[in-house]
Order: sequence, then C-alpha cells, then structure tokens
Amino acid sequence: MKQLKNSTRIFTILLTSFFFATPVFAVDGNELLRQVDANMQPETYEMYRKLINIEPDGKKKEFLLYTVKKGQDKMVALFLSPASEKGRATLRLGDNMWLYIPNVGKPIRITSLQSVVGGIFNNSDILRLDYSLEYDAGELVENDDTYTLELKAKTTSIAYDRLMMTIDKKTTMPLTIECYTASGMLIKTLRYSKIEDFGDGMVRPSVLETDSPLHKGYRSVMLFAKMKKKEFADEVFTLNYMSKVDELR
Amino acid sequence: MGALIVSLFLLFCLPGTILAAEEFSFDLEEIEKSPLTWGGYAEIKWEHMDINQGSVFSLLNLSYDPLSTIDRLGGSLQLDGNYSQELYSVNWLFKVTGQQDDFGWHDTADVFAAYINLKPSPSATISLGKKPYKWGKGYAWNPVGFINRRKDPNNPDEAMEGYITAEADFIKSFPGKLQTLALTTVLLPVYDEINEDFGRQDKLNLAAKLYFLFMDTDIDLTLLTGDSRSNKYGIDFSNNLSTNFEIHGEMAWILDAQKMHLQEDGALAPSQDNALSWLLGIRYLTENDITSIVEYYHNDTGYTEEEMSNFFRYAQAAGEEFRQAASRLLLDRAIDASLKGYGTPQPGRDYLYARFSQKEAFDILYFTPALTAIINLADNSFTLTPELIYTGFTNWEMRLRFSYLDGKKYTEYGEKQNSNKLELRLRYFF
Repeated sequence: MKQLKNSTRIFTILLTSFFFATPVFAVDGNELLRQVDANMQPETYEMYRKLINIEPDGKKKEFLLYTVKKGQDKMVALFLSPASEKGRATLRLGDNMWLYIPNVGKPIRITSLQSVVGGIFNNSDILRLDYSLEYDAGELVENDDTYTLELKAKTTSIAYDRLMMTIDKKTTMPLTIECYTASGMLIKTLRYSKIEDFGDGMVRPSVLETDSPLHKGYRSVMLFAKMKKKEFADEVFTLNYMSKVDELR
Repeated sequence: MGALIVSLFLLFCLPGTILAAEEFSFDLEEIEKSPLTWGGYAEIKWEHMDINQGSVFSLLNLSYDPLSTIDRLGGSLQLDGNYSQELYSVNWLFKVTGQQDDFGWHDTADVFAAYINLKPSPSATISLGKKPYKWGKGYAWNPVGFINRRKDPNNPDEAMEGYITAEADFIKSFPGKLQTLALTTVLLPVYDEINEDFGRQDKLNLAAKLYFLFMDTDIDLTLLTGDSRSNKYGIDFSNNLSTNFEIHGEMAWILDAQKMHLQEDGALAPSQDNALSWLLGIRYLTENDITSIVEYYHNDTGYTEEEMSNFFRYAQAAGEEFRQAASRLLLDRAIDASLKGYGTPQPGRDYLYARFSQKEAFDILYFTPALTAIINLADNSFTLTPELIYTGFTNWEMRLRFSYLDGKKYTEYGEKQNSNKLELRLRYFF
C-alpha cells in the first residue's frame, strides 16, 4: 500500500512537473517581448533621465533630459542641462528622428545611429521605442533563471540589426542586451540594474549601463527618475512643438 | 587579525562603493522647474586675416588703408530666456558684441528676438513680436526661406535675428500616412523703423508655410506675398532613405525677381525676370562616424560668370584710378554695385557645398574635426575651411578654424578681400 502511495506521489509529481513545464517550453518569443515592453514602460508617460559619459581616466560629463512618450511610436526628449545643450530637443515618430538646436532655430533630420550626446549611447538608445515595435523574436533559449531571446530588426531602418536579450524569469525584465550589426559585429552591451518602484504600479530598472568593444574603457550610464503616467496631445510630437517641449513640465 | 582583515576588506571595497554611489546619484532638485529660465553664452574670438592685396574687394574695402594683414580680437555676450505660464510665454534673445582691430573699436547691441507666445492649446500658438525664422531644409542655403535672414554658409547657425511679426501656428496630427499637418501664417509689416531692411516700405506682407509629414517625408509649401519683395512660392522636402542617409531639397519660384546690373558707364540698372532657384542635398553617415553634407545650389537670381567678371574688371579699374588719381567717382559706383548685389555672399548662380565632420575622431570624446568647402561652379574658385572643435569641458566649446580662399583673377574667391583667415573661438555657456 505504501509502495502504491509512493508510486502515486511520484506520478503526481511527474504529471504536475509536466503540466507546469509545458508553458515554459511553449513560451512565445514575441509574447515574451511584449511582456518585457509592458514591464519596462507604460504606453504614455513622462520621465527624467541623467546620462553620464565616463572616460577611461574617470572624467565624467552629465546630461539631464526630460522625456515624454505616447503610444508605441511617439517620443520627445528635451535637454535640461548642461547649459551648452539646454533647449535641445530630439523627436521620434516611428523611424523618423529630428534634432532641434535653439541656436540653429529649426529641426533637422537625424539618424538613429548618430549620437547627439557623444559617448556610447546613440539616438536610438535615447529615444528607444518598444522592442516589440522594432524587433521580431527569434530563437528563445531557456536557462535556469533567465531566457535568452534573439531579436531580429523588422526593417533596415532600425539601428541594430540583431539583439541578444537576457531576460530575468522572475521579473520578465531585461538584464543585458547585446547589440549586433548585420555583419554580426558586437556594437555595444546594455545592462539594466537597480529595480525601483516608480509608483503607480511601475516597477522597473532605474539604471542602464553600456559599454562597447569599439570604445574600450569608455562607459555610459543612464539613470531614470520621476517616471509617471501622463496623457499628452498628439500635437506635442510634431516639429512645430519642439521649441516648446519645456512647457509640458 | 580579524580587525586587520576587515580593515583591508574595507580599504579595497569601500572606494569602489563610494565611487559607484557617486557615479549614480540623481539629485531631484536638478529637475525642478522655474517659470523664469535664462541662459546664453560669452565668447572670445581672435582672428588673423592675410589680405589678398590687389584683389577687387581689398581695393573696395581697404581703399584708404591698404593693409597686408588684419588682426581682430572680439568678444560677444548672448542672453536668451523666457518666462512661461500656462497660457503664455515671453521669450527674448539679446546679443552685444565688441571688437578691436586695425581700424579701431567697433561694438553692437541688438535685440534678436523679443516676442510673446499665446498658447490656447497644444495645437494652436499665436506669437507677437520680433522672432527669427529658419524656413527650409538646406544647411548652407535656403531658397524657400522667404523671411529668413541671410545665412553665412560658413556659420549657418549665427543668423538669429528676427523680424517683427504677428504669427499664428496650427498643428494637427493624424493616424495613417499623413501624420502631421501644420500651418504657419506670418504677417510682416514694413514701415519706418519696423523691419525697414526687409524691403519696400509702407507695405504689409504675408508669409505662410504649410507643413506635411507624409509617408515619413517632411514637405513644406511656402509663400511670400506683399509688395516689399517679389512674390515667391516654394516647396521643400526631407527624407531619411536609411538609418545613415538623408536627402533634402528646396525649390523657389520667384515672380519678377529684381536684380541690379552694372552698365558700361558704371551706372546700375534694374531688371525684372521670373526665377527658379533650387537646392538638392544629402547627409550621409559612414560606419566610422564621418558625417558628410553635400549640397548643390542653383541661384537663378544670381549673376553669371560673365556678369561677375565684368563687375570685377570695372571695380579693378576704379580701384586703380583711385590709387593713381585719387578720384573716388568710379570707386563709389563700384562700391554701390557691390552693396546692391555683386558683393553679397555667394552672388553667383551655381555652387557646391560640402562638409565632412567626424565625431570623436582618434577616439577622443567630444572632439570633432571638420572640413568645409564652398565652390563656385561657374568660375571654379573656392574656399576650404578645416576646423577642430572640442567640447570636452562641460559648458565650454573651443573652435580653431582656418579658411583658405583661392581662384583665378576675376573669379569670386580670387577677388575676395582675404586670402585666408585663422580664427580661434572660445565659448562659455551658462
């Protein structure tokens, strides 16, 4: 009788394991990516960011940005400091990007691969839209505590052709993202850390660090603060509004 | 022993901890907003110019002081700011300059902008006051910039002075292929003491710009009507063909464009003709971060190579006569012709502009070397400007620039006042 009980227990454990394991193997990469997006940022919000470029000798340069995002493909970032950059605004509408410089007085088109701040973060890092908008999920590998998800750019207008994203199973948020060119060259590695409660149900990493094998010894760090859900008119995300973004704060 | 281990541990670990904490601090006081914001820059500039002795413009500009070099030390202060409330904002931009050179001291104080914005909603803004306009997509020239100030292609960002206008701006966003539609209408009066350098006085002019973002392409339709200047109609566009390649263009149709022609006797005679000016340009970013901007500009209201050559020959003869006979009659006529058209920047018809810059060259962060060339395609004269820019110290910008001008006799850059110019500029932003 005891043996039967044991056999039943083992069978139950195996059956339970089977049923519990199945969804893991059946995780859809694109669905997982959408979940990552939902956890990383709400659809419409404002936030403040500090970008820090760190040189090999420890010298630092900091930039403060006010950022507003609406829907999946509208985003604008305004530089608040340093004084030399104050008033600069970058706007992204889908694949389109513009830079407004007060001393130039008009928006000019820029590309995602350029960097308006120097250092390792480029324009697409600063004006990052949802991953699921720009990338299709490829191979998904399950590890003990993480998933490794390969992402392929949907169009050639995306800054990085391929990403390798390591996702924390517990939080469904990215830990590291390796960014590759079409030729397979590693351009940079992004590392998220320090999960923080921003309020209103937004719990996400508050620090993003990056380095690049192309710029050995250099690092760039992005700190996130005061992220909160807020509604904005569509007209805020237009060229004519770029000189007035500060009025949204 | 335990204490020693703990001490050693702290010695090795603590500096790293402090550094990390220091690196990642985000003081929320930094992001507090005040309704009053202001800033600007202070600048010191030193220039050394070698005079192209015997050239037409050295004869016209330096007739009393035939110098071989000019050294100039100057400074400027630009102050900008705004006071913003929910329904309105007041904006200003002031600039004062002073310079000492071989001719003495010269200073200026200008209000470049001073206007009020009324903002009943994010989609509508009404502005009143003096405001700068920068219409067009070109970097070096803007044939559709009908109410822009004239731009210096070597310093395209410097033309910040505006005109006194009343402006209404409406924006509408849509889902689909037409993403944005925006209409900007500007009333520009020209009266005594009001915009009197714009054109004929006692006239009210209307300028308008209709902007579309259609299928990921920026398109502007522009017009200027009124009697201070000729009526003008324009179109421009800009599109990113790929992540590293942008194309842009402008075309302006000018009705009865007026031009002053130098007659054989040195008198000036006006002519009127329709003109079609246009510009086509690209911006390309290479894998090693070199940005190339190349633009071709056809200025249909400009002078032909022959017309320019005739002016240079006349002015040369006038300069020689002044030197030999001390008679200013011909020289004054030549100076008048220069001021009324022949001496404006890029007075010819066909130009090529090319600028190549590399961000973080030689792996030096914030270091940007650049090379700019402007070529008059009719007479093959040119100016070549290499420069070095460093912005590594927060709020400081250092720029070292050398301009070399060359061309045959009676060509645009062969007859400029300077044969070269060395310039060092130090700017502090606050």
